[in-house]
Amino acid sequence: MKTIIRAEITKGEEIRYISHLDYAGAVERAIRRAGIPAAYSEGFNPHMKLAFASALAVGVTSSSEYMDVELAEPYSLSCFTQLLEQALPKGIRLKRAIYKDAADKKALMALAERASYRIVLPSGYNKEAIKKAIASFEAELDVVIWKVTPKSRKEVEVKQYMAAPIKFVEGEQDEILMDILITPQGSVKPEQILRALYDMFGFPIEVETVQIERTGLFCRRNGKWTALIA
Amino acid sequence: MIKVDSAILASVSKPARYTGNELNSVHKPYQEGMVRFALSLPDVYEVGMSNLGLKILYEILNARKDVAAERVYAPWVDMEEKMRQHQIPLYSLESFTPIKEFDFVGFSLQYEMIYSNVLNVLDLAGIPLLASERGDDMPFVVGGGPCVYNAEPVADFFDLFVVGEGEIVLGELVDAYIAWQKDGRPDGRVGFLRRAAQVSGIYVPSFYAVDYNEDGTIKAITATEGAPSVVNKRVVPDLDAVPSVTRPVVPYIDIVHDRIMLELFRGCTRGCRFCQAGVIYRPVRERKMETLMKIAEKQVANTGYNEMSLTSLSSADYSRLKELVPALINRFSKEGVSVSLPSLRIDSFSIELAQEVQQVRKSGLTFAPEAGTQRLRDVINKGVTEENLMEATGAAFRQGWSTIKLYFMIGLPTETDEDIIGIAKLAYRVLDLYKSIKGKRGAKVTVSVSSFVPKPNTPFQWFPQNTPDELRRKQQLLKEHIKDRSITYHYHDVPTSFLEGVFARGDRRLGKVLLTAWKNGAKYDGWSDHFKYDVWMNAFETEGVDPTFYANRERALGEIMPWQHISCGADEAFLWREYENAQKEVLTGDCRRDACNFCGVCPNLNVTVIDGGLAK
Repeated sequence: MKTIIRAEITKGEEIRYISHLDYAGAVERAIRRAGIPAAYSEGFNPHMKLAFASALAVGVTSSSEYMDVELAEPYSLSCFTQLLEQALPKGIRLKRAIYKDAADKKALMALAERASYRIVLPSGYNKEAIKKAIASFEAELDVVIWKVTPKSRKEVEVKQYMAAPIKFVEGEQDEILMDILITPQGSVKPEQILRALYDMFGFPIEVETVQIERTGLFCRRNGKWTALIA
Repeated sequence: MIKVDSAILASVSKPARYTGNELNSVHKPYQEGMVRFALSLPDVYEVGMSNLGLKILYEILNARKDVAAERVYAPWVDMEEKMRQHQIPLYSLESFTPIKEFDFVGFSLQYEMIYSNVLNVLDLAGIPLLASERGDDMPFVVGGGPCVYNAEPVADFFDLFVVGEGEIVLGELVDAYIAWQKDGRPDGRVGFLRRAAQVSGIYVPSFYAVDYNEDGTIKAITATEGAPSVVNKRVVPDLDAVPSVTRPVVPYIDIVHDRIMLELFRGCTRGCRFCQAGVIYRPVRERKMETLMKIAEKQVANTGYNEMSLTSLSSADYSRLKELVPALINRFSKEGVSVSLPSLRIDSFSIELAQEVQQVRKSGLTFAPEAGTQRLRDVINKGVTEENLMEATGAAFRQGWSTIKLYFMIGLPTETDEDIIGIAKLAYRVLDLYKSIKGKRGAKVTVSVSSFVPKPNTPFQWFPQNTPDELRRKQQLLKEHIKDRSITYHYHDVPTSFLEGVFARGDRRLGKVLLTAWKNGAKYDGWSDHFKYDVWMNAFETEGVDPTFYANRERALGEIMPWQHISCGADEAFLWREYENAQKEVLTGDCRRDACNFCGVCPNLNVTVIDGGLAK
C-alpha cells in the first residue's frame, strides 16, 4: 500500500512573488534536503510524486495550501513533520500533516471546491464608496468580465463562482473577505473580482495596492464545507 | 533599508528578482567595523545568479566574521524604469542596503558586452561613474573575471581590479582595508589604493600612465605610486586545500543554471589557439575525486537540487571521470539527483558517458569541431579529425540519438572560402552517416556559427578581425551551401561581434566612447533586443575614435599591447610561437599529458599542473 502524506503549508510574504511552479520546486527541494524518502516516477526523467491542491497566483500569499507527498517506504508522521519543518525555506511553514486516507481515491487537485480569501486594503480610502461598490456588485444577477490571456480573450460570468456574499470588515486595516467556488468548469481569481469592482462598480482601490491572502481551501464532506484536512 | 512598494513589484516582470530571502542567503546584522562587500554580475538576476565565481566569493567572504558579502544584479529594464521614476537607489538583496553605502562593490566581468551595464548599475546606485570623481564616502569599485586581462577600456570606471582567482586575493584586500581603517584612513582613497597596489594580484589602473605614439599605438605604460610594473595573476595552487561552494544560494525562480555546479578542475591545456580561457586559467589543477564526493554530498544536502552539473572548461578531460560519474550516480540517484555534463569531447568515450548520465533520455548532443576543414582545424590546434567526429556521431546515432548540434567559427586566421564550404560539407556527412547507419533519413543537424573575435593573451592576439562585410559575406556563402531542410543554420549578429572585437583588444581611449554610448542609451548590449548599434557608432564618431583601429588592424610583433602590464603567466614568446605554428599548420600537444610547451605559466607563477592522470 502506498504511503501518502497530506500536509497543510503556507506561502508567506517573503515569497509572495513566486509562481506556483517555483513554489512547488521550493517545496520539492525542501523535501529532498530533509532527507524524506519521497517516491519518484519511473521513466526518462524521474520526478518526485508531489501534488498540490490548487495553484496560487504570483503576488498572492496563503495561510492554507495543501500538498500530497508519496513516500517510497512507510514513514512516520512525526519524522516527516520534524525534518520538513527544519528544511523549509523562509516563507513556507508546515501547519499540519496527516496520512492520506487510503480509501480516498480523489486527487488533491480535484478535491478543492471552494477557496476563501482575505484582502487587506490600504488605508485612506472612502469606506462608503467601498461598501457601495460591494453592494452594487451583490445586487447584480450576472457580472460578466473579460478574461484575457496571451492566447485568448473570452467573456466569463463571475457571480456563478461566488460562494458567499463579499464581506467588508472594518478594523485597524480594513479587509474584504471573499469565498470563491472552484468547479470542473472553471473558477475566478480574487484579483479579477477586485478588478471588476474597480472597473464596473466604482470600487476606489486598484488591485495592485492590496494584499491578497488565501485563508482556506474546502471540500464538501457529508454535505458540509470542511477544510481539506478536517 | 530600502522598502520597495508592493505596487511597484506587482507591476514588473518576475518581481522575485528583487525580493531576496532565498535559501542559504546570508543575512548578517551590521556591526561596527564590519566590511560590507557587494558582489555583482551586472546582468539580469537569472544570469548573475548562475555565475560560479560569485558563489565561491560569496561563501568565502561570508565565512569571515568581519565581512558581510551581499548580492546585487542589474534590474531588468522595466524595474529600472520604476526605480528611476520613484528615485529608489539600487540595493542589495540581503539587507536591502543602498549599494553606495557598501565599502566595496565587486563586478564580475565575464564578457565585454557587459560594460555598459556596469555603468548603468553604478548610476542606479548613485555612485559616480568615473573613479576619479568618487569621494571618500563612496565604495571602492572592484573588477574581476576574464575581462581583467585587458581591462583598459573600463580602467576609468574602476578603482582596482583583482587579477586571477579572487578567493585567495579578496581576503588580503579586505585585510588591507581593515588595517587602513584602523590607521584612520590615512591619505583618503588614494592612501588605500596605494596599500591595495601592494597586494599581489591587485591592479590599480590609476597608478599606470599610458603614452601613445603618433600612429595611435602605445608608446609606454609606466607604473607610478610604487605599483608593480607588471601585475601577475594569482592562482590557487591546490584546489583541494581551499574551501569550495557548499551552500550556494538557491533561488526561488528558475535561473539559467539552476542546478548544483561541481567544479572538477580549473584550467585547460588542450591549446586551442583561439581560446582565451585556455590560456588565462592555466595551469590545470584537478580536485581529488574524494574531495569532489564530499563537496557533492554537502551541496545536495544544503540545496535539495535534483541535478548536478560537472563544471569545468573541458569536463570530459577529468582524469578519473570514468569512476566519478558512476560513483555520483550510485550515491545520489535514489534521492532523485541526476548528473549532467555541460560539454562533450568529440570521441566515443564521451558518448558512453552521455549514455550513462542521461540514462534513456535522448535529447540532442552538442559537439564543437570549430572549423570546417582539417587544414583549418590544424591551424587553430583543435586536435580533432573528421574521423573523430564521424566516430562520435556514429556512436551517438547507434545509441539512439538523432539530434546533433555542431558549433563552428568563421573569420579564423588563414581561412578561405573552401573552409567555409567545408562546414556545410561536414554537416552533410553527418546526415549521410545517420542514413547509412539507420537505413533511412531522420537526423537533425544544427549548425551554429559564431564570428571569431581575437582575444588578448591568445596566439591570435595579433590577428586582424575580419571586417563586418567579410563576416557577412562568409555567413551568406555558407547559407548558399546549406540546402537540406534537415540542417538548421544559425549565425551570430555581426555588429555585436565587431563591438566585442573592438573592446576585447581596446585601450583606455575607449572609456569615453563607452561613457557616451551609455549616456545615449546603451545597456544590455549582450541582449540582441536591447543592442543599439547606431548608438555605439555615433559614440565612436562623437569621441573621434576609430573602432577599426582596434578590431581590424594587424598588430606587429613587438607592438606594446594595452594589457602589457597585466600578466596571466603565459609568455608573449609562447603565444607568438603558437601564432607561427598556426600559420604553418603545425599541431601542439597538451602539456597535461604530453611534453611541456614552455608557455611560462608554471615557472612565472610558481605553480604546477595537478592532474590525477599524470601518475605515469
